[in-house]
Amino acid sequence: MNLSLNEIEALAKRAVRGAGYHWGAAEDAAKATRWLCLQGFDGAEELANLLVQDFAPAIKDHSPKSTRPEWRSAGDLCPIMAGVLLSDCAEHLRRGPITLRDVAVPVLLLPFAGNVARRLGVAVSIDCEGWTAVTDGIHTDAKNSYPRRASEAVVRVGGALDDPRIRYSRAAPDPEALSFLNRLAHRTYAPATEQSRLMGAGAGLSDND
Amino acid sequence: MRVLTRRMARDGWQFSTPVFDIDKDGVGRAVYVAQGPKRAYSLVAFAHDLPPDKRSDRVIADAWDATFTLFDGIPTEADLDRLSRNVPLQEAGRVSESELSLSRANRSVRLWAHVVDALASGRQPDLEQIQKVGYLMRTTAVYGSGKFGAADRDKIADRQETRGPFQAEMLSVFLTRAFVRDLVQHMASVKGGSTAVRLEPGVARQLGIGNSTGLGMAPFLINHPILLNNWIMAREEAISRVRSLDTATDTEVAVFLSMFERSKLSVSFWQSEHPIQLQKLAALKKDLTVLSDYLKQVDLTCRNPWNHLLNWSETALSEEGQEFLASLILEPYGDLVDGLAGCMADASPHLFEIDGSMRIGTVRQAIHDSFGWALGLDWTASESCARVWYVSEEKLEPRLGERFDEPVAAYEQPLAPARDAAAAFVALDDWGDEQSVAEFVLRHPEHRHTIRRAQMSRQAPYSEIRDNTISAAVLPIDMLRAKLSFFGATHFDPRSDRWVRICMYAGAPYPDELTPENADLWVYPEVPG
Repeated sequence: MNLSLNEIEALAKRAVRGAGYHWGAAEDAAKATRWLCLQGFDGAEELANLLVQDFAPAIKDHSPKSTRPEWRSAGDLCPIMAGVLLSDCAEHLRRGPITLRDVAVPVLLLPFAGNVARRLGVAVSIDCEGWTAVTDGIHTDAKNSYPRRASEAVVRVGGALDDPRIRYSRAAPDPEALSFLNRLAHRTYAPATEQSRLMGAGAGLSDND
Repeated sequence: MRVLTRRMARDGWQFSTPVFDIDKDGVGRAVYVAQGPKRAYSLVAFAHDLPPDKRSDRVIADAWDATFTLFDGIPTEADLDRLSRNVPLQEAGRVSESELSLSRANRSVRLWAHVVDALASGRQPDLEQIQKVGYLMRTTAVYGSGKFGAADRDKIADRQETRGPFQAEMLSVFLTRAFVRDLVQHMASVKGGSTAVRLEPGVARQLGIGNSTGLGMAPFLINHPILLNNWIMAREEAISRVRSLDTATDTEVAVFLSMFERSKLSVSFWQSEHPIQLQKLAALKKDLTVLSDYLKQVDLTCRNPWNHLLNWSETALSEEGQEFLASLILEPYGDLVDGLAGCMADASPHLFEIDGSMRIGTVRQAIHDSFGWALGLDWTASESCARVWYVSEEKLEPRLGERFDEPVAAYEQPLAPARDAAAAFVALDDWGDEQSVAEFVLRHPEHRHTIRRAQMSRQAPYSEIRDNTISAAVLPIDMLRAKLSFFGATHFDPRSDRWVRICMYAGAPYPDELTPENADLWVYPEVPG
């Protein structure tokens, strides 16, 4: 099915929250998912690939321990928690590369690298397991051959956008990923009770007037 | 609405109805095309035969008297067939990137029957009945911005005519009103045959389009802080410009006084049965008398006349009257203030990104600036946090629940910025002014949402509602009114604390009547004689 990017973003936000992340991270992850779809990646599928790993209950074990240039954690790094830190610390990249150890679904770092690029007005590249992606925040030069997990990912200022990807205005997510995200999003919806129906807006009023 | 009608009149938009294929039962389809200088937009309308027991304005309804979409361009037969399989289903259907909005409307049963019967029997409808209701149909949702598969806002955000927020939705409602007029005429002709008469244009003008709106609109204001800021800022800037004027010309004073007289008529048509609104209306009517008396004695050719008038209103009028007057003084000054409409879109998406290099002291101050009033509240007290905003499984729409009576707290949406700001402020206590925001949100991911808003508020001073959105005393209808007023809605009529009806485009010219002369001040009814 073909979705608007707004639908992708709204679904992603609910799914990430449903997976147990805080709202703040869910908002960033949703924008990141939308951005990946706009760049022609299947952002929904990559988000599903991350959320199926269920990092949220022990999120500290999957978040960078500090803002020093080498980021690692007890378990695999969550690219949302590492991504938001990357975006927050845009200025740090001016001082040199940041190395991330053991990252899950590293393509999800790319939108956050895009934020850094836009903020600093430079190109930013990510290298991991032989895959290189370059972005200026608007366009991206990257192949689809990215790894599902990387033992090391290096983010640095620089790189050339020789062959930018086509940008898309719609998303066509993998149906299984879509249904998984919908299941997670569903966790944020309160089951209807008779009381909530009765107290809902417009309840009890006749509109035949 | 007036931004749209001014633009369309100025740019000479052309309107046509290439399809009006409605049968004797009032069932069928129609297409209304608005042709601008560069692009065309088409309202595709489907009329249905709705049994009374299915007529509900609530978002959980699944059938309506009429359903609509605004098509980007002019639809082909194939487009119409595709839309006919989806638009009547509304949320249960899918539209595409070619569609900019999805909406539906229900009849005002009594007025509809009255107008059809009157015209069919050769009479014009009774003006008093028209003024009492205000519209033949009310929309019960107008979805845009990528909802249910429609085009994203990005598709139209760079176009001159749709750069302003909600212009596509306002256009769809403008064309819907024309369709409704034509449909009621059609039904009268079917019923009355050769006896039927045409609805007089002067009578038709008084008919607006209603809108019935519930809670869904309230979270919008909290979820779009930059947009809210830009709307309030545009209005505040407009008021400030007019208050700063040294003198007013005779013509400007005459326009003001004329609009004042006409607005009195509008207020006299304003009906509500809601106790809170009745009180406000009574206060406003009293204010109009006080203002009327004052305008007889005050000399508006004095220095700073408008500033003087607004200063006077602060102690002489109720809040209703003060806000009414603040809007009214803008009317003589279209040249000075109308351009501000161009500042009302959110053109700063990157304010969403957190600046981790900001010092804690700065963000602490930002929270204090927006929420100083909330920091001392006892947020554990039941009256401070009695309500919970959540999304119901049933219709995926926002609802407002009772935290202490219903099992909904686990599903709470982030729509209590004041409470969350107070919590973040406490967490910041242990942090020094010189430490960085990046470090703080790394340690406290639970406050990321609040820190983002606090940073936005430094650029957008009107981004936060200065009140408690989960208090036992919260009135969601106030949030609805704030948003609807920026659309230009009139005759705000709450049906409960979370459900309102309003009127749009009453008094406006129809597409075939639109000229630069009548495109702006139609919101004020003409005083007879």
